[in-house]
Order: sequence, then structure tokens, then C-alpha cells
Amino acid sequence: MLLELKGITKKYGDFTANDHIDFSLNKQEIHAIVGENGAGKTTLMRMLYGMEKPTSGEIVIAGKSKTIDNPNDAIALGIGMVHQHFMLFPPFTIAENVVFHHEPRKSWRYDRKKAAEEVSQLAKKFGMNIDPLQIVGDAPVGIQQRVEILKVLYQGADVIILDEPTAVLTPLEVKDLLASLRELVKMGKSIILITHKLNEVMAVSDRVTVLRDGKVTGTLETRETNPEELSRLMVGRELKNNPLPEKVKGKEVLSIKNVSMTDKDSGKSLLENISFQVQQGEIVGIAGVSGNGQSELIQAITGLASVQNGSVTLNGTELTNQSVKQIREAGLAHIPEDRYLWGAAKEASLVDNMMMTDYVKQEFQKSGVLKLKNIRKYVTDSIKKFNVKTTSIDTSAQFLSGGNLQKLIAAREIQKNTPFLLAAEPTRGVDIGAMEFIHEQLIEKRNNGDAVLLISSELSEILALSDRVLVMYEGKIAGEFERNEASEEKLSILMAGGRNE
Amino acid sequence: MNKLKTNATLFIQPILAVIVGLLVGTIAIMLSGESVAVTYQEMWKGAFGNLYFLTNTLERAIPIILAGLGVAFAFRAGFFNLGAEGQLVMGAVTTAIITVSLPFQGLLNMIISIVAGMLIAGLYSFFAGWMEQRFQINLLISTLLLNYIAVLFAGYLVSEPFRDTSSAGGVPQTVMVDQASRLPKLITGMNLHYGFVIAIILAIVIAFIMKRTTFGYEVKMLGQNVFFAQYGGINRKKTMFISLLISGMLAGLAGSVEVLGMHYRFIEGALSNPQFAWTGLMAALLANSNPVGTTIVAIFLAALDTGSLGVERNTDVPNSISGIIQAVLILFISAKFSFEFLKQRKKEGK
Repeated sequence: MLLELKGITKKYGDFTANDHIDFSLNKQEIHAIVGENGAGKTTLMRMLYGMEKPTSGEIVIAGKSKTIDNPNDAIALGIGMVHQHFMLFPPFTIAENVVFHHEPRKSWRYDRKKAAEEVSQLAKKFGMNIDPLQIVGDAPVGIQQRVEILKVLYQGADVIILDEPTAVLTPLEVKDLLASLRELVKMGKSIILITHKLNEVMAVSDRVTVLRDGKVTGTLETRETNPEELSRLMVGRELKNNPLPEKVKGKEVLSIKNVSMTDKDSGKSLLENISFQVQQGEIVGIAGVSGNGQSELIQAITGLASVQNGSVTLNGTELTNQSVKQIREAGLAHIPEDRYLWGAAKEASLVDNMMMTDYVKQEFQKSGVLKLKNIRKYVTDSIKKFNVKTTSIDTSAQFLSGGNLQKLIAAREIQKNTPFLLAAEPTRGVDIGAMEFIHEQLIEKRNNGDAVLLISSELSEILALSDRVLVMYEGKIAGEFERNEASEEKLSILMAGGRNE
Repeated sequence: MNKLKTNATLFIQPILAVIVGLLVGTIAIMLSGESVAVTYQEMWKGAFGNLYFLTNTLERAIPIILAGLGVAFAFRAGFFNLGAEGQLVMGAVTTAIITVSLPFQGLLNMIISIVAGMLIAGLYSFFAGWMEQRFQINLLISTLLLNYIAVLFAGYLVSEPFRDTSSAGGVPQTVMVDQASRLPKLITGMNLHYGFVIAIILAIVIAFIMKRTTFGYEVKMLGQNVFFAQYGGINRKKTMFISLLISGMLAGLAGSVEVLGMHYRFIEGALSNPQFAWTGLMAALLANSNPVGTTIVAIFLAALDTGSLGVERNTDVPNSISGIIQAVLILFISAKFSFEFLKQRKKEGK
């Protein structure tokens, strides 16, 4: 046994984040930890990496009980962590990033040549193909992640903790990463993989530990389990299957024709000649790796940015470059891609957050004076209906968990009962329970005969919900599939810039 | 219940700031060798001791309340209006000139000259907003610098074209306001005038606008998160211009009522030297831009001023004692800001 956590408990005041967790890691093993958001995965790993101290319990490494006070202790014990958000210096080279804080020296000077050599050798040893002199900022996300792993290896880690490593990667990059992890294990390393994607767990891990509400609900051999059992352990109940009923052809609601957008400062093309329609009673999914023009498309449709060319028509009304207000009045509801940036005011109360765009409705105001009684009743009812967990409707939005805030935003936008809903990354970073609920709501909206445009970088979400799938790559539509033609493989190739023959 | 709790935490910080401010004041008094008890007693007497001092304090609070409300309103919308002083002076000088230039006197004269003062002050603040929109000139900088222009320009107006030449020499000032066009006193023989009633009514009106109207909602959301407001279809430009206009008009009103209710003319420096606008800014900050809170804090700060004058009259402690206490208050407000900033950073770092 390489590493063992015995009865680890972590309390924040009255709240127990981890409750008597037992966990072990064998040499040359990939042990996955899965669980919903807030199940306590990250807290547990922060304790192992010295960023938090356990309230009680014991950490045993190579048979000896240890206390880990800070990350330097953890590194000295051979534990390294790759964080979900990269901690790199973009303007510096890969070699410089890897050796940072442990630089090779020539007497008192930094030895640039030796650094590059060492990093190049290290990468070769673990089968990673990188150029140590490349600038990190210029490297694709997949390579940047490799740099993070190399950094940990360079520090001499034997145990590598990876926190949600695939969240930012394309499907092909994910495949590469999983292969690299296998390679690392072959070379004698041991890996703890934190994730909520069960297919990755099934593909790469040896054992799985499932956490729910801070407790271990099971530690299983991967080959003896299946995704259904794991999700049951994660959520605590069977997940519902939401089949899409046959779609009824309706009339066109959203129509995008030859829309182009260029960056004002650099002149770079952001959207190129985009055309598509969304009809009543269908969900159109737009797949693609983040940053391939989806944000710009959302802004073009919702009026948050202006386009240079083409037209946007909603419900027969020409709305190209109109104000947000006009577009919303024509029948747009919009779940934004970033709930904290666009979707909410963190310090404002749930009431204020819930009333955005609705506050002008007859029901809620009379000649500019708000009808607080109606408003409070509406917010209370909505919160109940959409199952938003909160102590009061007057608490500020920042105290809601990500999933609960997302449910609040979904409640706000879906209940507007508009003919068109733009749902951008509607379940990013929310737990399985909330995801299931939001998916149900989107399907219900579709079944009611409204049009839904779903923009998501999560392929499983696209495939589960869409009647039709478009793939975006570098600001263009790279392909279109009917529901029955679409498959993960076909989409992945287009998302990575390839072609289906 | 929960609402009560958040309200309570809102008030803890300013109350704590005031207590520490008074404690530091205590140390300063001890250093100057006077009895602390006697000094604070004199301060209390100077501020609230009898009807005369009480009404004096309330009178002093009028421009502070109005300027504070103006700053608070813009701040709620997310715009830092540092130009209250300039707007106040512009309002005052406009009112002083208009009232003596009109061919008739009385209530109508009073209303016209006040409205004119407010309008000019509002436009002055609007101008800063326009420069932000048109040339991306930071509001903090433009509003701050416009103060100097306003104060010096008003100084020029009363030194040259509109100077009262009947009294030779002395401080430059405008011609006296006619008896009939003055804001009446609330209590005969005391300084307190109807401007106080206007200030209190406006505090309530502003509180109502912020809490109960759709426009207040738009202002609040814009101040909390610009992107969220835009996403919801709130017009940033329009809301910014209106709130800057209102903000400037309130500051201008502070100057106008001082002219018509207190000095009966515009005297160079009489409105900028006592730092009414800056004290108002402090009141708005201490009260977290809550209109009613701003009013209460404004009265407290005015009491510190008038109280320390009492201290100076009757003890050997200089009236800078009020300055010391106010300085500690400012320190505490900024401490609160950086504290929240740190909390934010910590959360994001996680």
C-alpha cells in the first residue's frame, strides 16, 4: 500500500465536508474518485496536498503516519497535484514553466540549456511529445496540461493527483491524456483521478471510490462495476432515462443567414458565414470545443455584440444588431454560458436575480412601481417548482451552490414561456441531480412546441438532447447531423478540425 | 429573520468604525492634556446641547445629506461621482445669480432659481458621463478634475461680472437675495431652514426609487453587475446618464438651498471650504449608499463638526479633533473595502 487515508474527517463549523473517509492507493494504480459537486472530492485531495488540515483522521504514506502542513511537505513526500485551472506562466517557455522553483543552476545562474535538456528527456521518458522551447501561451490546451503533469513529475512526484483533468480538453485530447496516464502508471507512478465523467473512469481506472455528501458510498474494482451502478452510488437513486418523443415538424422560429463577425481590433474573423434554422418543437445542438465561435454566435443572436454581415430573424421579426431588449421582447429567453459573468448579480438577492427582464411585466409593476407582493410570491413559487435549495429568497446569489444558481437561472428563463430558448452550457459544472432536472425542463419546453438552441461543449449532453446537431469549428459550421446519424466519433472528428469522408 | 440578520451585519461595520473613531479621538484628547469626559461633554453640548446648537447641527447637515444622496445614487448604479463639490458649487452660484436677476420675487423666483441650479449641476455631472461615453475618459478622473474648474469658475463669476459692488473690498460675493425669495426658517431665530425638510423628503423619495421602482431596479443591477444588466436588456448608456444627472442635481440642490436658506448669497469659498461635498461622500460610503443610512450618518458627521467647534470654544482641545475622528472613519471604510476585495480574491483563487 503506497498511501492510505484513515477515517479522515473535515468540518467547517457545523458543516461536515468529509466524514470518516477511508481511501487507499496501491503502487502503479489509477484510483478514480467520483462524486457530484460538493460531495467532498476536492476537499479530500486538498488535505492530501497540504492545502487544508483534516479535523481528525490519519494520513499514512509508505507505512508511516504523516502530517502534511503545506504543498511543499506534500511535494517532499512525493505527492504532486495538477489543478483543474492551470497554474502556468503563459509568456514563458515550456521548459521554464516545468523547472520553475527547482531550476537547474550553473553556479548562481539559471542554466537555460540544461533546463531544456532535462525537460526534453523527462518528456521522452514518459512518452510525451513536446518542444521544451515552445511558449506555453502558444501551445494548445492539451499540451498545456502535459506541461502541468511534467511539472509535477519534475518535482519528483510518485503520486499524481489530477483534479477534473478533462474538463477543458477536446475528445481527441482526452483520449491522448488517458493513454498518457496509462503510460505513467507503467513507468511506476500512481495516480488519483478526480472526475465526474464515468466513461473516463471506466476507460482508465483500476479502482473507483464514490463519494456522496462527504461519505464514501463504495470503493469498487472498475472491471467489476458499470456506469449505472456508479451513478446510482453518486446520486443515491436510479437515474431517469428521458427519451425524446418523435418530433413534430413546426414552423421556423430562429433563422440565421450568412452571419459573419470580425474582431474590431485585430480584424480576425470570429464567425464566418453561419446559416441555420431552429424550428418549433426541436432542440438543435451546437457541439464544439469552447472557443470556436460559440460565444460570438450567442452574442450575435442575443444582441450582446454586433455582426458585420448577415441577418438574424426571430419569429419572423428581423433582429440583426437590435438591442437586447428588442430581441427579448420578440421572444428570446437565454440561459447564458457563464452564470457568474452574464447570468446573475452575485451580491443581489435571489428576488433581484430572478426578476431580470420580468420586472417590466404588467403583473409585477404599475407605472414603474414594483408590486413587491406579486414579485415575492412569484419568486417563492418558482424556487419551489425548480427545486432551488436556499434558506430564503432574500439571501444573495453568491451563497447558492453552482447547481442551485443554475436552476434559478433556468427557472427564470424557461418560465418566460418564450417561443425560443437559447441554452448555452446549461449544465456546466452542476451535479448530476441538477443536470437531470435541467435536461427534463429543456425537453419539456421542446415538447410544448417551442424552439431550443442548445450550445454545449459536453458531447453526451448534445447527443442526449438534440434532434439535430451542428458542429462548430473555428467560427464555421463544420457539419450537420440528424439525431440518428450523430455519434460521438463523427462529432469528435469535426470538433478537432478533421473531416468525415 | 434572515433579512434582519443581513441588515444587522450591514450596520455593524459603520457602528464599529464610529466607536473606534471615538476611541482614537480619546487618545488625541488625552495627548492634548484635557479631560476626556469634559471634552466629549463639550462636544455633545456643541452639537445637541440646546435648541440653538441642535438646529445648527441639523442646518449644517443639509448640504451634507443632499450631496451624500447624490453620491450614493451614482454609486448604486456603479459610477463613482467624485464631482459632488463642483456640482454643489455650480448649483449654488447659478441659483445665486438667477434669483437676483429675475424681475420678480417670491415663491416662483425661488423655485425657478433652485431648479436652474439643479439643472446646471446635473448637466455638469452629465458632461462627465458624456466624456466617458465619447472619449473613454475615466469618470473618477473627470469628475474629480471638474471640481477645480467649477470652484474657480464660480470664483471668477462672483469676483468679476456678478460681484456685489455695494460693499467695497472683502470677500467676493453676489448681491443679497431678496427677502421674499429666501427659503424660510423652520424656527424663527434659528439657522435651520426648510432645506432640511426638502433633504429628508428627498432621502425618502430616493429610498423609494431604489427599493420599489423598476428604474431603481435597473440602477441597482447595473451597479452590481454590468454584464448581467446588459444580458437582461438594461440600457447601460441611458441608465448611466440618468443616474449621473440625478446625482449632479442632488449635489446642486445642496448648494442652492444653502444659498437661499443660509448665506442668502454666493460667497466665494463658503461652500467648498467646509468640505460639505466630501463629508457627504463619506456619509454615502459609511452607509453603503443606503439613502436613509446616508442621511443619519450625514447628521452624525455634521454633529462632529459643530461639536468640535463647541470643544474649541470651551476647552484647550483644537477643533481638529473632529478631523482626527473623521480620518479614522475613512480609514475604516477603506479597510472594509480592501477586506471585501481580499475575500473576493480568496474565493476566486480557490
